[in-house]
Formats: sequence, C-alpha cells, structure tokens
Amino acid sequence: MRLRVPALAAAATLVALLPLSPAAASPPPPRPQAVRTTTPIKHFIFLMQGGRTFDNYFGTYPGAYGLPAGTCQPRAVGQTRAGCVKPFALLGQQVPPLGASRTTITSQYNRGKMNGFVSAYQRQGRNGTRVMGYYDSRQLPFYWNAARRYVLFDHFFSSALYGIRANRSYWVSAAPAPGGKGAIPDGGYGKLRTIFDRLQAAGVSWKFYVQDYSPKDTYQSASPANLQTQTSRVPLVDYFRFTHDPVLAQHIVGLAQYYKDLAAGTLPAVTYIASSSGDNERSARSIAGGQDLVRNLVTQLMQSQYWKSSALMWSYDGSGGWFDHVRPPRERSATLGFRVPALLISAYARRGLVDHTVLDYTSALKFIEQNWALAPLTARDARASSLTSAFDFAGRPRAPALIPPGSILPAAGIPGASPAPPTPVTKIYWLYGTAAVIGVLLLLFAAWRPALSERWQAKRARRVVQTDGAGE
Amino acid sequence: MPELPAITAAPATTAPKTAPRIRRWLLFPGLPLTAIMGLAVFFRLWQLTAVGFNSDEAVYTGSAASIAGNNALTAVFPVFRAHPLLFQTLLSLVLRVHDTDWTARAFAASIGIATVVVTYLLGRRLYGTGAGLIAALLLAIMPYHVIVSRQVLLDGLMTLCATAALYCVVRYVENGRLSWLLAGGSMMGAAVLSKETSIVLLGGLYAFFVLTPSARMRGKHLLLTGLLLVTEITVWPVMIRLSGHSHRGQSYLLWQIFRRPNHSAWFYFTVLPSWLGPALLLAALAGLIWLRKEATWRERLLLAWLIVPVLFFSLWPLKGFEYLLPVSPPLAILAGRTLARPLSRPEWLRQPGWLRWPDRLTKPGWLARPQGLPRAVMGVLAAATAVSMVIPAWQRIEPSTSASFLAGSGGMNGGRQAGRWILHHIPQGARLLAIGPSVANVLEFYGHHQVAALSISPSPHNRNPTYFPVSNPDLQLRHGVYQYVVWDAYTAARTSFFASQARRLADKYHGVAVYTSTVSVQVPSGTEVVEPVIVIYEVHP
Repeated sequence: MRLRVPALAAAATLVALLPLSPAAASPPPPRPQAVRTTTPIKHFIFLMQGGRTFDNYFGTYPGAYGLPAGTCQPRAVGQTRAGCVKPFALLGQQVPPLGASRTTITSQYNRGKMNGFVSAYQRQGRNGTRVMGYYDSRQLPFYWNAARRYVLFDHFFSSALYGIRANRSYWVSAAPAPGGKGAIPDGGYGKLRTIFDRLQAAGVSWKFYVQDYSPKDTYQSASPANLQTQTSRVPLVDYFRFTHDPVLAQHIVGLAQYYKDLAAGTLPAVTYIASSSGDNERSARSIAGGQDLVRNLVTQLMQSQYWKSSALMWSYDGSGGWFDHVRPPRERSATLGFRVPALLISAYARRGLVDHTVLDYTSALKFIEQNWALAPLTARDARASSLTSAFDFAGRPRAPALIPPGSILPAAGIPGASPAPPTPVTKIYWLYGTAAVIGVLLLLFAAWRPALSERWQAKRARRVVQTDGAGE
Repeated sequence: MPELPAITAAPATTAPKTAPRIRRWLLFPGLPLTAIMGLAVFFRLWQLTAVGFNSDEAVYTGSAASIAGNNALTAVFPVFRAHPLLFQTLLSLVLRVHDTDWTARAFAASIGIATVVVTYLLGRRLYGTGAGLIAALLLAIMPYHVIVSRQVLLDGLMTLCATAALYCVVRYVENGRLSWLLAGGSMMGAAVLSKETSIVLLGGLYAFFVLTPSARMRGKHLLLTGLLLVTEITVWPVMIRLSGHSHRGQSYLLWQIFRRPNHSAWFYFTVLPSWLGPALLLAALAGLIWLRKEATWRERLLLAWLIVPVLFFSLWPLKGFEYLLPVSPPLAILAGRTLARPLSRPEWLRQPGWLRWPDRLTKPGWLARPQGLPRAVMGVLAAATAVSMVIPAWQRIEPSTSASFLAGSGGMNGGRQAGRWILHHIPQGARLLAIGPSVANVLEFYGHHQVAALSISPSPHNRNPTYFPVSNPDLQLRHGVYQYVVWDAYTAARTSFFASQARRLADKYHGVAVYTSTVSVQVPSGTEVVEPVIVIYEVHP
C-alpha cells in the first residue's frame, strides 16, 4: 500500500463522490487583476457597526485611555445639588437603544464641556443614568480577546458629532452626507465621490457586502418616516449611479457572498461591510449577535488564503448617546464626533497594541488611498492620519490563531466545566517510580539471593577460620 | 573440630572451568537465542512508523507527553483517564529525551523484546532449554504479540510484568522461597499498574493453587505477598486522590463496568486463532493430549493462567483485541514443550528387528542414533510452525491496505497525515467536528487542535468520561463554534448514522473538502483503487 497525500486523482474521485463543495462544482471565477500595493496588505475589510462609545466598550480595558477615576456626570448641568452619576457596569441589564438625536448629542457635548451626557436625557424626562453604563470582558469577551491579540485604537473618533448618515457618509466619501438633518435629497447623494469611484477608476476590485441585503431598498424607495433602514446603513444605495449602473451595482451584494468569495478565492481588494439590525450592536440584545458576526468574519478570513495579505477593521457609526469622557478634537472648522471603539486584526497587526493615534473613519480611507496609490477624496482624508501605526510590516506575518470567544466557550474540555487541576507530575514520578523500583529490586534480590547467601556463608566461615587461627 | 571447606582455594579450582562453560553457553543456547532475539528485534522494529498512531496509541503517547511536560498536548490529553500510569510514566522519561513516534513505539517494542527473553527463561525453567528456545522463537514471530508490541499500548508492559510474575511463581513452587513469591507479587502489582485488567490473572493463580495440592503456599507468605501487592496497586487510587481526580476515577470505573458490549462473546475465538497462529495452537493442544501422562503442576499453572482470562474476557462485555496478550507467552511455552519433545514411538510404530537393517545402511549417523529420527521430525515440525507464523507476521507488519480498522491491530492509515495537515494548515484555535472519538484522538495528537465527536453520547453513563458530547451540532456549526467537519471511512464503517450526519452537516454548511487522506486498496478483482479514508471539510455558516 502506498499512501498518497494529497492524491490528485483521489481528490477528483472524491469530488465526484461527495458533491459537497459548491466551489469545486463550478469553474472558479476569474481572479481580479493584481494591483500593486505599497504595503503587504492586498485586502482591506472595514465593517461598520452601530452607535457605541469607547468608554462604553473599553472604558475599563487595561492600558487604554479609559474611564478616569472620579468620573461623575451631573444629573443636571449647573445644579450640583442634583448630584451626579458614576460609570457602572451593565451586568445583566438589557438597555434598549438610547435614541440619541442631534439635540441630545449637542447637549451632551455642551460646547466641549462634556458634562451633559446624563442631563441631556434627564431634561427630556428620560432616564439619563443609563448612558453611564459600560461593558467589559464579561459581556464582550471576543472583542476584549481580539484587543489583547491585535490592535485597539483608543483615540478613534467618529467623523461627525451626530448623525448616522453623516458618519456613514464620511466612512465612504470623507464628506458629510448631502442634504443635512438626516434627509436624503431627491436625487440621492448626487456626484459626491466615494472611495469606490476611485477604486473603480483605478481598476482595484471592491465590494460592499450588506447583511440582509435588499436591492429594492434604495433612497428612491425610502420614505421620510422610515429612514433608519438600509439607506442609512449602506450609503451607496443613496447614490443614483450605484443603484442604477449595473457595472457599479453588481458590487453591492449580500453578506453570504463574502464567505463564498473567501472560499472561492475571489475576495476583492477593498471590502466594506454593513450589518443589519440583529447584529449591529445598537441594542443590548444585538451585542452577542454582533460579536458572533465579527467572529465569523474574522474566523473565515483566518481560514482562507487571504489571511497573510489582509487587514480587517471594525468600528461604530457614532456614540449612540453613550458616555465618553474625551473631548473630540477639532478638525479645522468642524468638530469630530465622540470616541468610538475601533479594532484592527491582521497578520501584520502589532500584538496587543493600544494605539493612541488620533484617527477617524477617514483614516481608513487614507490608508486605502496610500496603499493603492489613489488620490484623496476631500481635504479631510488628505489631512487624516493613516492606520500605518497599527502595523508592523518589517516582521513576518503572524500565523492565523482564532480568537477565543471567551466565556461562551472554554479553551478546552467540557463547555462550562471548571478547569481541570494541574497534573501533579512530581507525585506521579515518585509513586509510580517507587513501585517500579521496588518490583525490580525484589526480583533481583530473589534471583541473586542464593549467590548472596553463599557468599555470606563463605564470608562467615572465613571469619570463623581466622578467629580459630588467632586462638591457636 | 570439624573440617572446614578450603574456601580460599575455591576460586583457583573454578576459574579454569568457567571459560569452557561460557563458550559452551555461547554456542548453545547463546547462538540460537541471539538469532531468535534478532528475529524479535527485526519483526518489532521493521517499518515501525510506516503508519501513524491509532486512537489508543495517540491517547497513551499524549498522556505520556503531558507528563513529560509537552504543553501542546497537555490541554488535549489529560493524564488521568481510564487506566493506571506506569507505562505512561516510563514512556514519559523516554519522551523527555526524544519525543517522536519512533521513540514511543521503539520503547513499546523493546518491552515486547524483553518479554521474549522472559518467555525463554520461563520455558527453560519449566521444560528445559530446547522448549525455552522454541517458545521464545514462537513468541518472537507470533503475529499477535508482534503487532501488539509494535504499538504504544499498555498491554505490552502488562504482559512483560505478568510473565515475570509467572516466572517468580514457578520458582516459588519449585523452592518455596518467600523472596520469589514477594518478587512475583511485586511483578503482579506492576502488571496491574500497567493495566488494571491484569488483575484477572490473579484468578488464574488462585485456581492453580487451589487445584494443585503439591504446590503449597504458606499462610505467612500469602499474607506478606498479598500486603505487598495491595500496597503496590494502591498507588493507582492514591495518585488519583492526590491529584484531585477522584470523581473522574469513579466515573471511569462505572463506565467500564456498565458500558455496552462492543463485540460478541465469541470475539476472541473467532478473531484470535489466526493471530496466535493455528499451528502454534495445534502444537500446544497436541502436547497437552499427547503428553498428558507426564502432566505435572507446570501444565496446570500454564492452563490456569490461560483459561481464566480467556473465560473472563469472553463473558465481560468490553473486549479489546489486545486484552489477551498475557496468554501468548504460556501458549508459546506449551507449544515449545510439545515441539521440543522428541517423539516416543508408540508400540504399533515400533519396527521389527528385520526392518531395522536397511536403516543402518541408508541413514546417516546422527539419524541412526537413538531419538535421532524423532528429533528430526520435531525439528521439521517446529520449523513448519515457525514458517506458518512468520508469513502472516510479515504480512501484518506491512501497512494495511484496508479502509476498515480493528482497534488495536495496528496504526491508522492516513491519520497522521491528516493530523499534520491540520497542524500546518488550519488556524490555531480552530475546532473540528469528527464522527467518532477514535479519529478525533489521532487528529488531536498530530494536529494539536481540539476535535469533538458527533457519536459521543450525551448520557454520562454511555460515554468515556474524558470525552464531552456535542449538544446540537447543527446550532454549534451555525454559531461558528466548529470550523471543520471530518468524515472518515473507519468510523463510517461502524456507525452509518453519525457518518451520514457528518455528511449532512458538511453539506448544509457549504463544506469544501480541503484535505483528503487516501489509501490504495486492492479490490476483489485484484486491481488497486484509491479510496478516501479521511476527508476534512471547511464549513461556512
């Protein structure tokens, strides 16, 4: 018998016998044309989730610029008697979305004083204490594990102070959404350039993966009463050209295609992903789903051929009304939004780095533009810092290692079981060793006993002779 | 005054005699014994690692590696499992020096070779040098002993210790010295610490002493030896207690006692004869019948040692292929006894005087001597017996060309390759879902990744306490807990239900076959075909 691994003939037979591989069943699609990059990153993936602040997710993360000691937000600005609210762990609490409007966030920001987080809600007759709640490794085990192994940005700001549409517009175009106040102009976002226009023109492959994608749900079908839908989470469906030009529209696909592209070897160079409400982490219930989603995206990437040439990043499209203690810096005439969580995973990412560089969504655009030699879209991305501080391109790419999902699954053994006690190696050697040695010694003694006995008798006799001789 | 022996003169008188004695010993039995040992070494080391570990080997080597401090395996292979740890502890010392498959198997093989030596000593003690040599030869090439002792299993060390214990008992019966009985008790304790199933052999010794009035054991000797034996065996539970695994130890015991039968009651009678060698069995049986008038306590001892475990494990629900290894040395000795015994011609075969003269003319001198012909006949029979065993032994040490597998009968084709592929190609921390725990163990050992098994029962009464069940595997795959599904031909042949479940799950979650281990198997028509034995699917929820 000869073992042939892998045997091509057998593999062909096997494919015929076990038709389980959709990728193998059809001829592989043509690979996108290779475009030169300035770094080893050939594939950049950026997922946007919904409204969270840095302090809300990583305020107690060791080594990060998190919640300072003594933090306490007044219940009513300027009224010390009303007292203040300290940050507290949101353990076992299912807090619904806070519903942060433009007015609320403006009040929270309070002209840079950053003291209106609680009072903004109290003033509206709502419970403002909830904004001071924070999560930690108990609720976010996967994210915290990811931060420990890869890069966490603790000075990553949302690009606009308020507005999901505005922030998501900065995400793709380095500019606010036209129309203002959350409304979409009749003609959509018009000629506003996006990074995908640049990529398309440069022949760099790209795709926008949308969870629960509905091609019919565009700016043209959205009503003013129902704006928080696909049109807000996927800015491209607010453009005429991206929804009507078949060449461009074919780049907007369902999220299932991401997994298929990874398996089939057709992952584009630049990938944007928008999750749906079940997994976007805007509500407490969707946090677990969001972590599962990110875990799947990362895991499948690590399993694929693209791991060594990819970087995956995810961030959040605004504060969602949650507390963050860092005053956002000004960007020329505009003010950046509150800090949001942002993490980067890559084979070239620095291990366990907490990156303090001031960044925002346009920093990712800057990285894409630098990596694929594209012109900047606006002055914002032209001035933005890039993500390069998070990478170590001098070293060799790290081998893929799945990020443990934390308390959901233990590293080994029975799920939920307490860890096994350590192996008492010394005791094992002592006890079993002693038993073995005693066995061998007894065997040797039994075998040599006659000889030993004879020798002992002879010795005794010799002594008797000597004693007798001395006596004579 | 009585005359004392001339002690000082003794060395001068014995010295000249020692050299010729050594020379004689080197010629016989030294020369044939060396040849036999050469055979034993060859059969146990030839192509030793052509095929990777099977499930049990992976578990024992993994445990030994854990004791030796191999961090990669400690998480996957807990030290405290179903059996005591003497073998694993000794193996761990070897692995500390050189941690490879070959080292582990060579250690096990060396134990098998040592058993051949002890069998020679025992056979010589019982029936003389000729019988000892033939017994050693038969054991050296016995397919059953060869195949089992080439694997990293507990049974090899158990058999060595048990055979040594038998030797000590023989010496005790001969001379009544307590030291031999203590040594026997200690060896028996070591056998139990190697594998607890050897405790059954004590039943054989009990039956022998009860049924043999000539073999007496003094009460004091029994008491002391019993104390020694119990003390030695106590190491096992004490160790479990000290390490805080008492609950696990109890679970194992309950599971072993109440687990469902894995083979029929006739398993050993249908499978083992071809592995032991039909000619050897025939020779042992023929001797028992033919030489029944010369029967002494020796045969009774060997038979008690044989029959008790055979009966016990035939009735015991759990049957392992290798469980009866301790009966192979006494069987070889009984066959050796027969084949070393020159034929005594029965009356009806005796030639009348007028027929003898042509013999004198035709036969060579050695044949014409008294017993010459019987010796020649027995020599031919012994050679024929040996040849009848050498051929299957040789065939069985060659890597198997079958896509089915009997636990304990050799390595697992394709398992090592699949495991090493996992080690080098899938992300650290990724989890795999196999059909059954056997392949899971092998993949965990070589792949250093967690591999769960679909067929593990959720009921704690019906599963090995080391394994954990996969509750709702469909949901777990959907949540991305497992990233790969493994299908294998070996388990699929035993459990079609779980095999089809694995296929269904791989299908449902867009499984892509990323690795395939194949073997070339010969079909009945004689042509060779390549068959997949292990297929790893990457799944995408």
